[in-house]
Amino acid sequence: MAPQDSPLNPPTAPPRWAEVLLERLLTAADRQTLVGDLREEFAEAVLPQRGRLRADLWYLRQVASLAIRPLLAPARFRRSLLLSSVFTLLCGCWLAWMESLLRHPDYLSRFAIDLGIAAVGLATLVTSLLHLGLRIERVLWAGAVALIAIGAQAFIHNATSANFEGFVLIVSLALIAQGALMLLSLGRPAARHGSAS
Amino acid sequence: MAEILGAFEQAVLLAIVSLGENAYGRAILHQVQEPLGREVSAGSVYTTLDRLASRGLLRSWLAEGTPVRGGRARRYYAVTPAGLRALNQAHKIITAMWRRMEWPLKTAR
Repeated sequence: MAPQDSPLNPPTAPPRWAEVLLERLLTAADRQTLVGDLREEFAEAVLPQRGRLRADLWYLRQVASLAIRPLLAPARFRRSLLLSSVFTLLCGCWLAWMESLLRHPDYLSRFAIDLGIAAVGLATLVTSLLHLGLRIERVLWAGAVALIAIGAQAFIHNATSANFEGFVLIVSLALIAQGALMLLSLGRPAARHGSAS
Repeated sequence: MAEILGAFEQAVLLAIVSLGENAYGRAILHQVQEPLGREVSAGSVYTTLDRLASRGLLRSWLAEGTPVRGGRARRYYAVTPAGLRALNQAHKIITAMWRRMEWPLKTAR
């Protein structure tokens, strides 16, 4: 840790540990500019007006507000969404195939649900890869809610059933994750800077 | 039809227009806070800047830092022609809607 009044950490600087934490949270593109902006504001406005303790608290609030920013930057979820969509598509096809082979009572309704799961996975893949637009992506929010509902119901049923099945646990959690990723990343503009130089 | 800008997006774009060549993060934060009369978190301003840049309404570039920033670079912003069009459109729509109203609005009886 740097001494308190080194050039790196003059007396007017925010807490060094908080600044390091903020640097870790930011992307390389933002690390210089955002940390610099906050240090400037801290030294020239917040610290003289509020005193050390309240100024430090102000800085921590800013770190917290910037920490949740990646959650609002949907581009970061895209790769995970593509991978999980492939998994969802394969799961839906495999479950439908198993249902058609085993033909348990009432298998047709479950077969239809499995095909629906595969269709949502396929539609998400096609929409994301071909960039079909925000409006079409927003239509898929309904599919996301359906996947979360199906996954949650399967999870609860499996957890309370006498015969616990590992693959149901994995598939149900994967469906919930897929739905959450769809809601977080589809239908929202991707966040990136249009840097001119 | 393009999406209409939200109130906070308009505030950020107008702050950049009014700051001219001095529109960098901290200055924008101040400019947005002033008319609102309350503290605005840096996170909300930078998230909005990201979103507007991704929609092609802003462009940005890096410039040298100052000693008080520990030499860290500044990112300056400017509104693109598409950003100006979006602002003008938002103003036109809101003005047209207000023109039909008697201001200030009163509660229903």
